[in-house]
Amino acid sequence: MTLFVALAFALILAVPGPAPAQPKDVVIGVIYPMSGPAAQAGIDNKPVFEIAAEIANGTTDLPFPFYQRLKGMPGLKGARVRLIFADHQGKPDVGQAEVERMFTQEKVHAVVCCWHSNVTAAASQAAERMGMPFFNAESSSPGLTARGFQWFFRSSPHDGHFTQVMFDFFRDFQAKRGVKLRTLGLTYEDTTFGADSGKVEKELAARYGYEVVLDLQYRARATSLQSEVQRLKAANPDVWMPTSYQTDAILFVRTSRELDYNPKMIMAQNAGHISSDFVKEVGREAEGTLTRAPFSTDLIDRRPVAKALNAIYAKRAGKDLYDFPARAFTGMMTLLDAINRAGATDPEAIRRALVATNIPGDQLIMTWDGVKFDATGQNTGVKGIILQMQGGKYHTVYPFDAATRDVLYPIPQWKDRK
Amino acid sequence: MKRAVLLLLFLAALAFPVVFTLPFPRHVMIMIFLYGALAVAWNILAGYCGQISLGHAVFFGIGAYTSTLLVAKGQLTPWLGMAAGAALAVLVSQLIGYPVFRLRGHYFAIATIAVGEIVQTLVINWDWAGGARGLFVPIKRPDSVVNFQFHQSKAVYYYIALGLLLLALAVTRWLERSRHGYYFRAIREDQDAAASLGVHVAREKHRAIAVSAALTALGGTFYAQYVFFIDPESVFPLSLSILICLIAVLGGVGTLWGPVLGAAVLVPLSEGTRVWLGGTGKALDLLIYGGLIMVIATLQPAGLMGLARRFRRAP
Repeated sequence: MTLFVALAFALILAVPGPAPAQPKDVVIGVIYPMSGPAAQAGIDNKPVFEIAAEIANGTTDLPFPFYQRLKGMPGLKGARVRLIFADHQGKPDVGQAEVERMFTQEKVHAVVCCWHSNVTAAASQAAERMGMPFFNAESSSPGLTARGFQWFFRSSPHDGHFTQVMFDFFRDFQAKRGVKLRTLGLTYEDTTFGADSGKVEKELAARYGYEVVLDLQYRARATSLQSEVQRLKAANPDVWMPTSYQTDAILFVRTSRELDYNPKMIMAQNAGHISSDFVKEVGREAEGTLTRAPFSTDLIDRRPVAKALNAIYAKRAGKDLYDFPARAFTGMMTLLDAINRAGATDPEAIRRALVATNIPGDQLIMTWDGVKFDATGQNTGVKGIILQMQGGKYHTVYPFDAATRDVLYPIPQWKDRK
Repeated sequence: MKRAVLLLLFLAALAFPVVFTLPFPRHVMIMIFLYGALAVAWNILAGYCGQISLGHAVFFGIGAYTSTLLVAKGQLTPWLGMAAGAALAVLVSQLIGYPVFRLRGHYFAIATIAVGEIVQTLVINWDWAGGARGLFVPIKRPDSVVNFQFHQSKAVYYYIALGLLLLALAVTRWLERSRHGYYFRAIREDQDAAASLGVHVAREKHRAIAVSAALTALGGTFYAQYVFFIDPESVFPLSLSILICLIAVLGGVGTLWGPVLGAAVLVPLSEGTRVWLGGTGKALDLLIYGGLIMVIATLQPAGLMGLARRFRRAP
């Protein structure tokens, strides 16, 4: 038995870590799901992180002032950026142990982690305890920035922002088109996602003076939504706001057609309505469905920065930039910019530089106002966008200055469709 | 000879944190002790009594949630929470026992999977307990034994985890030699024959699951105090139940040291391959991990303990 324990230990201790960092290197730990159900997120993000490091190292060129200034990390007199990737397998305890290992053994100066909200929740505590910078580029649970942490920074929007953008859209759309939207019908599935979404939507409806004429929680695994659609039809709200996963979203569309329910406007909470299966199965029938999103592939051609980056990314990843790598890139560049401005790699200097971050919106690939952190570490410059299904594909329709299509309103009735 | 080896191992375990001061090697050892303790606890019901459970995450989760809810909502020390969690796990195990112990073999195993899934779904929908978003253990400084929180060093966690493992081993050792240990094994070999000889089969099965559940719940509380965050996905998943079973089976079911051996091999193997190759995004680490498990299982169906015995027999 001693033999086995000895062997087992020999294995783990013999694992060749990279050579110890030279003082000039900036080392960043990148901890993502690289196996398990969400592995695609980590795998699609890896090339974009490498591109970010190359931009800082001057080996890849993105011809825009913000990225040019970072070239060769002048603040650190030409230090080289080195990334160390690791897999947390979607497990909070692994993420936490990995953050500790990164800081103590790999001697990284900051970590970018974790995608899953629950892994981020556990792993960021380790960094907070150690007093080391923890950067999050995409976890959307609002509670993460409500913990009073000093070392936690999030560049991406959370669920509260996402719902806000729907109501901003209602306001601007009414002003632009001169139509009146007064009543809302909410349907949401019965797990946390739906319950949280329904709660935020009700709060915002009350704040902005909309009347909720239908407030309906339904079984996520329901095999029939006949009675739900009939109630929608009876209430006939100006806007129907569904929060659904994939199968129920598809079932809603089919049942609406069956029962001839003709909503004038549909505003969905991402998830099921944006899934590739939904688009494939009922994309045509779901004509006119609006949904919130943080980034859209059809915006790439409109934004020169995104277009330049996509040309590099698509070659390496074999696909266009989409939501996940777009947010990951923005997060990593924000961190690299802060380290460059800090002019040092000690944790307090990096933290202070992150607090002072101010990246103008026109330098980002996202349609945001910019990157600027409030006292909780949340980026205040975030902005969601609204997409609409037109001709079986999602197109950006809001904010209006970034739109690639006009809003289709009202949605054509079933009898008028081919 | 055997005693000398065990004593040496024990001393080595005590000295480990003194030699290895970095958090990660200590973390790996803590995980060996924790999963070792869980597998030893599982082994009491499955290895000795022959009732293969694939729902042990239920007891682990009860331990984690009970202590965390008592800390977060009642300001109670996690040590009391640990005891309460173990007590609650025993109670739940008895309730589960009534229906599922009527089933035998595969049907019992399937029923325990179902119980695990039901409990996880219930907790996901239980808003007061954090629902799907999970719970944070409120961080209290400075480090204190009463609060069961140690932020400066993992050494204390290390010794607590070692204590858990030793406790589980001591209980198993005691059971092995007691009357109940013999009843358990009789039930495992042939339930009907055992009953005909006067063994109260149902009562003994309930005893086995009670001990097993209590020890598993202690591990759950330890996990919560160690990670400071729990959610249904991390403490109630089927994958955890299967991992516990895998460790025990790989090490050697129905033996005292088998599950510990299983943990001592599997945990460093899993962590080592993950650290070494996990960042490539090609899942190579999991391929190697899975491949080695298959090799061991094929060549040595009795588990690593069988291999160890063969070594010992050789001159």
